[in-house]
Amino acid sequence: MAYLLNRLLSVLLTLFLISVITFAVTNILPGDVAMMIMGTQSNPEALAGLRESLGLNDPLIVQYGRWIGGLLTGDWGRSLVFKEAIGPLIAQKAVASGVIVVMSMAIALACAIPLGVWAAINRDRWQDSTASTSALIGVSLPDFFWGIMLILLFARYLGWFPSSGFVHPADDFLGAIRHAFLPSLALGLGLMAHLTRMTRSTMIGILGQEFIRVARAKGLAEREVVWSYGLRNAIGPVITVAGLQVGYLFGSIIVVESLFNYTGMGWLTYQALLNRDIPLIQSTVFVIAAVVMLTNLFVDLLYMLIDPRIRMA
Amino acid sequence: MKRRDFLKNTTTLFGATLFSGAAPMIASAQTTPVTGGTLIWGHSETTQNLDMHQTGTASTGRVLQNVHNSIVTVDKDLNVIPMLAESFAQSEDGLVYTFNLRPGVMFHNGAEMTSADVKYSFERCANPDTGAVNFEVFNAVESIETPDPLTVIVTLNTVNAPFLSRLAENGAGVVMPEGSGDTQGEMPIGAGPFKFVRREFGNEVELERFDDYWDGPAYLDKVIAREIPEPTVRLTGLRTGELHMINDIPADRMAEIESAGELQVVKWFPLNWDFVNLNHTFEPFQDARVRRAFDMIIDKEVLLEGALWGQGAVTASPSYPTSASYNSDLTQRSQDIAGARALLDEAGYPEGSLDIVFKATTNYPYHIESAQILVEWFRMAGVNLTIEQLTWADWLSQCWVDKDYQMTMMNFFTLWEPDFLYYSLFNSTGAFNYRGINDPEIDALTEQARITVDPVARADIYKAVQQRVFDEAHDIILWFRNGTIGAQPDVGGLDTIVHPNGSNLNFHKVWLNA
Amino acid sequence: MRRFLSGKGLVGAAIVLIMLLIALLAPLFIPDTFATQMDMRARLSGPTLNHIFGTDQLGRDLFYRVVLGAQTSVMIAGAAVLMSIVIGLPLGIISGYFGGVIDNVLMRLVDTLLSFPALLLALTISAVLGPNLTNTIIAIGIAFTPFLARIIRGEALRVAQMPYVEAARAAGTTDLQMIIRHILPNIMPAIIVQGTISLAFAILAEAGLSFLGLGTQPPDASWGLMIQASRDYLDIAPWTALVPGAAVAITVLGLNMFGDVLRDVLDPRTDP
Repeated sequence: MAYLLNRLLSVLLTLFLISVITFAVTNILPGDVAMMIMGTQSNPEALAGLRESLGLNDPLIVQYGRWIGGLLTGDWGRSLVFKEAIGPLIAQKAVASGVIVVMSMAIALACAIPLGVWAAINRDRWQDSTASTSALIGVSLPDFFWGIMLILLFARYLGWFPSSGFVHPADDFLGAIRHAFLPSLALGLGLMAHLTRMTRSTMIGILGQEFIRVARAKGLAEREVVWSYGLRNAIGPVITVAGLQVGYLFGSIIVVESLFNYTGMGWLTYQALLNRDIPLIQSTVFVIAAVVMLTNLFVDLLYMLIDPRIRMA
Repeated sequence: MKRRDFLKNTTTLFGATLFSGAAPMIASAQTTPVTGGTLIWGHSETTQNLDMHQTGTASTGRVLQNVHNSIVTVDKDLNVIPMLAESFAQSEDGLVYTFNLRPGVMFHNGAEMTSADVKYSFERCANPDTGAVNFEVFNAVESIETPDPLTVIVTLNTVNAPFLSRLAENGAGVVMPEGSGDTQGEMPIGAGPFKFVRREFGNEVELERFDDYWDGPAYLDKVIAREIPEPTVRLTGLRTGELHMINDIPADRMAEIESAGELQVVKWFPLNWDFVNLNHTFEPFQDARVRRAFDMIIDKEVLLEGALWGQGAVTASPSYPTSASYNSDLTQRSQDIAGARALLDEAGYPEGSLDIVFKATTNYPYHIESAQILVEWFRMAGVNLTIEQLTWADWLSQCWVDKDYQMTMMNFFTLWEPDFLYYSLFNSTGAFNYRGINDPEIDALTEQARITVDPVARADIYKAVQQRVFDEAHDIILWFRNGTIGAQPDVGGLDTIVHPNGSNLNFHKVWLNA
Repeated sequence: MRRFLSGKGLVGAAIVLIMLLIALLAPLFIPDTFATQMDMRARLSGPTLNHIFGTDQLGRDLFYRVVLGAQTSVMIAGAAVLMSIVIGLPLGIISGYFGGVIDNVLMRLVDTLLSFPALLLALTISAVLGPNLTNTIIAIGIAFTPFLARIIRGEALRVAQMPYVEAARAAGTTDLQMIIRHILPNIMPAIIVQGTISLAFAILAEAGLSFLGLGTQPPDASWGLMIQASRDYLDIAPWTALVPGAAVAITVLGLNMFGDVLRDVLDPRTDP
C-alpha cells in the first residue's frame, strides 16, 4: 500500500515536471502566439495590443499558472490554426492514433512471438540467425522508409490498401482498418525487432529452467512443453517490453502519420510544430508525454501483479 | 561544373493559347452533365485564413472562389463583366460608379442580397481594423450610397483608374451578408455556388451545393478538397482512384501522364510566376551592381528546366503575358558568371567575401530544388550561398512579416490587374513590398498610373515600371509556371474549371458521370 | 555458440570499420563538389558506367552522394552520441555514486525527460533552434542524454556498492580519486556498448529529422535527406531511395551486430 501511495505521488510529481518542461520549451520557440494569429496582417501596434490582451506580457509564472489551471479545469484553450477547442480536437485525434498503436502492436506481437520462440528452440542454428537477422533488418531501416516502400507496393502497384487518409472506426469499421493497415505495418516492422529479441532471450531463459525439464521428463510432447509451459511464462516479460515500446511508438507516429496523411496525434503534433501553433504544441506534447509515462506506470503495476518479488526492489 | 553541362531545352509557351482546354482524348468529357455525387479533389496547398478580405494566399482564394461571388468579374480576356451587379456605369469624370444589383441573389444564410450588404462589404474591406489585403482599393472612396435596395453608388474623391477592375477579384469585390464579418474567418458565408460546410486545418475542406444560387445550382452535391502538399502522394491518390482530380501534377510526370492517356489532363498558362528576392535593407543588396550581378549568375531557362522540368516559360516581366501592359521589349540578362564576378569586384565584394543565406520554403518543393541549383552557380561566381529550409509558417513570419532574410524566392498568382501587381509589390508603401524596395521613381510612376485614365498611357507607365525594375534588378523575375489538373475520366466540365486569373478553380459547372 | 558469435561480431565490426573509413577518408580523396555537381542530361538516370549507382532528380551522382553523405550522417550521429555521453556521464556518476537527494532530484528529471519520445524531443529542439547541421547534433544529443544518464547511473550505483569500493572508501580514498580510479574504468564497457547501440539510433534519428525538413539542409548530402528527396521519384526511379536506404540499413545493421557482440563480451549481465 505504501508502495502504491509512493508511486502515485511520484506520478503526480512527474506530471508536474512534464508540464513545466513542456511550457518552458514552447516558450522559447521563435515567434509568438500574437504573430501567428495576425500572420500576414501583423503590424507592430496591433501586435502589441494583441499581446497585451492575450496576457503574453504577464510574467511567465502567471502564464504557466493560467495554462495549468486551464488544463485542470478542462479548458485547454483554442488551437490557432484549427480554430477549435483543443480538448475535443485531441480527443478526436487520439482515437486515430489509438487505432494504429493497437494495430501495430498486434502486428508486431503476432510476428515477433512465433519468430522469437522459433529462434529460441532452434538456438544457435540457422533458424536462430535467420530470425535474429530479419529482426535486425526490421529495426535497421527508418520506419518512414518502410512506409514509402509499403505505399509503393500495396497502394500504387497492388492497389490493396489506400495510400493515405483516416476513417473513423465508428463510421466505417472495415474502412478504418484498411486505412490504418499500412501505417500500422510500417510501425510494426520496427517494433517487431525488439520484441523478437526479447521473446527469444526470455524463452531461452525459461526453457533452461527446472520445471521445463520436469515437464519433459513427464513425457509431455515437446510442442506442448514449448507452447503451453514455456510461452505462458514468457508472455509477461514480452508484454512488459511491448508496453515500454509505447514511448518509441509515439515518436515514430509523428513521421509515419505525416507520411500517410493519417490525421492522428502524430500528425496533429507535426502540424502544430510546423505552424507554430503554440497552445496546441503545449497540449499535444504534454498529452503524449503523459500517455507514455502512464503506460510505463501501468506496465510496472502489471508486472508487479505478475511477479510480486518486484515489490522488494 | 561547366555551364554547358546543362541541357538547354525549354519549350517556350509564349503566345500559345491561354487555355489549352481539357484533354480531347477522353470521350466522357463531352457527355451531358449529370447532377449528384461528391467530388474529391487533391488540393496542392493548405488553405489558411478563411476570411476572404484578410486572406492573402492563393490556396485559400482557390477554394473560396466557390463560396463567394464578387460584384463584378472578368471574362477570359480580362474584360470586366457583370456578376452580382447586373450592370454598372461610370460617370464622365470617372469619379462616380453606379452598380445595379441583380435581384433575387441569395446568400447561404437565406438572406437576399441588397445594397446594404454591398456597402457593408466594401466598408469592411476599407476599414484598416479589418486587416484586408486589398484595403487600399478603397483609399479614394469618398462615399458609398444606397438609394434603393438594388442600387449602390460609389463616389471617389480622385480618379482611381484601376478601381473597377480591382473589384473583379474576390479579395476586394466580394459581397458578404451584412454583419457576417466576425464569423467569416471560421465559417465563410457568401453568395457563391457552394456552401462552406467545414474545414479541418491542414487536412480537408468540405463544400456543399447551394441550391438557391442565382446562376442555377451546381451539378455536384459536394466537393471535398483534401489538402495534400506532397506531389507524389497526390498523384498516387489520383492513380489509385482515391481522388477524382488533383491540381498541380508533378512537373516531372507530365509527359508520362499525357502519353498514357488514362487520365484527363488540363493544362493552362500561366498559373503563377516566380522570382528571386534580394532584401534591399541588407547592405550588399543596396548596391544595384550587386543585384545585377546576382541576376547575371542565374541562367533562368536552365533553372526552369531543372526545378520545373520546363513546365513554364521564362519572363523578364511579371505582367500578365497577354495584357496590354506587358513590356515585351525586355529580355532577361543571360548568364555571365565572369561578368557578374567583375561587377561584384567593382562593388567591393571580392571572391569569397559574400556569405549569403538563402531562405526557401518547403511549401514549394521546386523552390528547394531551385535553391540547390543556385548554390552551384553562386559557388562558381565566388559567392557562398547556404540554404535554410523554412516551413510555410516560418517563411511567412520571418520573410514576409519580419523581413528577416537576405535572399529568398517566392511565387505570386498572376496579378493580372497591373495596379495590384506594381503598386503592392514595388511601391515603397505597397502591401506586398517585403523586400524593402524604396525607389522614388517607381513610387512616382505607380502613383501616376492610378490617376491616368487613358488605357494606352497607363499601360506605358507600367511598361516604364517594368523597365525600371529590370534596370535596377530590384527583384530577379524568373518565369511563369504552367497550371495543370489531372482528373479521372468520369469528371465532366473541366473546360470551365479554371478561373481567368489562372489560379482559382470554379466547380459550378463541373460534374461526375455516374 | 562462440563461432557464430565471433562470425556475427566480425561481420558487424567489419561493416562499422568500413563505414567509418568511408566517412573519414572519402572527403580526403573526393572533392565535396562531386556530391552536388549536377548533370541535367542524366537526371534520374539508372545505374550506368558513368554513374554506377544512378543519379537523382538533379542529375547528381548517387555514388558520390552516398559516399560523401556517410561523413554527414556518421559525423552527426557520432557527435550527438558523444554529446549525450559527455552530458550524461557526470550526471549519471554523480547520481549513482553519491545517491541521496541529488540522485532523487536528477533521476526524477531524467525519468520525466524519458517520458518525451526522443524523436519528439529532437523535433521540438530543432524547431526551437532552427534547422542546420550543428543544431541537428544538439537536438539529437539532448534527446539521447536522459537515456544514457539512466544507464550510467545504474552502472555507477552497481560499482559503488562493490566490496572493494567500500574498502577503498574506508581506506580514505577521496571521492574524485574513487570515481577516476574505480568507477569510470568499471562502467566503461557499459558505456561503449550503449554508445554503439545509440549510434545506430542516432543515424535513424538524423534520417527522421532530415525527412521532416528539420535536419541536414540541402544541397548537403546526408542519407536521411537523400531518402526524403527520393520520395517524389520513387515509382520511376526507385534506386534514388534504395541507395541511401541500403547505406542506412547496412550501417545500422553493422552497428547493432557489433553492439550485440560487444555486449556479450564486455557486459554479459545486461539483457539483450
